[in-house]
Amino acid sequence: MKKPIVSIKDFSLTLGGKEIIKDLSFDVMPGEIFAFLGSNGSGKTSTIRTLLGIYQPTAGELLVNGARLTPDTASIVGYLPEERGLYTRAKVLDTMTYFGELKGMPRDEARQFSLDYLQRVELSDCANLKIKKLSGGQQQKIQLGVAIMGNPKLLILDEPTKSLDPVNRKLLLDIVDERKQQGAAVIYITHLMEEVERLADQLLILKDGRARAYGSVDDVKKQFDSESIEDIFVSIYKEKSSEVSHA
Amino acid sequence: MHKLRHIIRHEYLTIIRQPSFWIAMTAIPVLAAIVITLSVLGNQSSSQHVAQVAKQLHNVAIIDESGLINKNVVKASQLKLAPNDQLNPLLDQVKKGTLEALIVYPQNLKVGRSYQIYLASTDFTKLSGVTTLADNLLKTSLFLPLGSPQIIALAQNGASGDVTMFKNGTPTGGFNDYIAPGLFVVLFYLIFAFSVSYMLTSVSEEKENRSMEMVLTYVKPRSLIIGKLLAVCLVTLTQVLFFALLAIIAYVVLINTGNNISLPLGISLDKISFHFWPIFFGATYLVVGFLMFAGFMTTAAAATTSAKEANNYSSVFFIGAFIPFYFITTIVTDPNSSLVHFLTFFPLTSPVITLIRNTVGSMSLTESWLALGTMTVFMLISIWVAVRAFKLGALEFSQTIKLSKLFKD
Repeated sequence: MKKPIVSIKDFSLTLGGKEIIKDLSFDVMPGEIFAFLGSNGSGKTSTIRTLLGIYQPTAGELLVNGARLTPDTASIVGYLPEERGLYTRAKVLDTMTYFGELKGMPRDEARQFSLDYLQRVELSDCANLKIKKLSGGQQQKIQLGVAIMGNPKLLILDEPTKSLDPVNRKLLLDIVDERKQQGAAVIYITHLMEEVERLADQLLILKDGRARAYGSVDDVKKQFDSESIEDIFVSIYKEKSSEVSHA
Repeated sequence: MHKLRHIIRHEYLTIIRQPSFWIAMTAIPVLAAIVITLSVLGNQSSSQHVAQVAKQLHNVAIIDESGLINKNVVKASQLKLAPNDQLNPLLDQVKKGTLEALIVYPQNLKVGRSYQIYLASTDFTKLSGVTTLADNLLKTSLFLPLGSPQIIALAQNGASGDVTMFKNGTPTGGFNDYIAPGLFVVLFYLIFAFSVSYMLTSVSEEKENRSMEMVLTYVKPRSLIIGKLLAVCLVTLTQVLFFALLAIIAYVVLINTGNNISLPLGISLDKISFHFWPIFFGATYLVVGFLMFAGFMTTAAAATTSAKEANNYSSVFFIGAFIPFYFITTIVTDPNSSLVHFLTFFPLTSPVITLIRNTVGSMSLTESWLALGTMTVFMLISIWVAVRAFKLGALEFSQTIKLSKLFKD
């Protein structure tokens, strides 16, 4: 029997006296795409930051591969945060190599991975350009490259297709799918429900720091008696908090 | 540990690969050299030109009512003294332009210590020439009775004092003792002007360009801050070596081209002395002071949301570093005053004050250690606050961290 790569149990988080997350529990299995949904301010980013060890939980347990994640063990994770950016004054190849090294890759290996990736996403010519010379979409492709460096077992992608054109969006989704086929788990945060329908195996809808829907895509649809994840999402957010039952 | 190495390497290369870094580094000494050279050449050229103009002044009348001007001195300048009653006719000639200038030494010259010059034009070079001529006529006339040319030269130019200073009954090297520890004061300001702000820029940029969250996934905040600090130390070392290299090149070029380097206060390059304690304390005050200010800058950058906002806060620290220069006379002449003691142990002023006092040797060994200990404590607190501000503010992209929050658990 497979063990979950991510296991969150009874997780609560209070920041600056404000309760952000309350009793959140979910698992993510290897080779699974887990859609982590919720409107802005629902607590998704805080959950991810706590999972990564950047924030400390007020209560509960957040494990990755059976242990609490620290910067020393974080090389099994590839993270593309929502608030993302790169060193604008540094060159593309140098930046990718640097992040590879921070993930524990040998320098030569990180460099070779970067060159191969740049070739795949048709940015080979940009390897020695400063990042500030690239367009927003090109920078986003570099950020995804940084996230998947070292073939991490867990990918956390926070709105990865935001502001991408259809061609690059397809390229990115293909890469995500490919990582899934290779056995990586993906926590996928998005506001685009068609991406959830297309990619996700499991989903969780978060509202006011609490899970309002959780399970496989089909189970959630059955549970809410709806064929559309978007409709389910809207119905959850239209209801008053007190009227929503815990999933 | 290996991650720290990667951070240092990345931060160091990011800074020194910027063309602006090398432009700023070379521009300051090059501009200083150009300004000094132009100024010296300009002054030399100007003095020579004025002297030349003074020599060529032959259509000048001189009236001596004071009786102090020697006729032979006037004659040697190919000029003649005019009778005292010719003042008005000569003045008319000046007004008409038929006489270039009229110099009148009045009767009360000894008391009033001023003479009149009437000039037929508004040419400043000619004015300088006539003034030089009038001054030379007066001085030479006054010094001539002294007889010997050496005595005249001595009376005109004075003599330099060969200073021997004693400390605890032992002769010291005088001002030559101040050079080596004094270099640390200069270095502090050079470093302060260049390197400390790199720390602020480095942290602010990482927040502004949103690379922070990706980095903090793989690196502890403390490691990131220490890595940045050590990288800035390496950048500083690069700058010091670069400036030292330039100084050595300039020295060698000047010596080999036969230029005598004349320094004030009897300072001689070959007599510069190197004593252990002043150099030890100079170096440690420099390093500890630098780290303390780097900590302040990091705190400003980590607690704010942009480099612009951080710069506003950091100006307070810049003022702190420059305050001691307003008290430089008191620091040197009255080192035991309460004000100097206060500034010696006040965090923002302590690095510069201790470096200056260390240079002029006005601190006892005990006080030097005490100042170093106090400054080290301030430095550790500054870095602790910086790390704390960084932990709290690194992922706070939209609001400034309040000071009170830094000290709350």
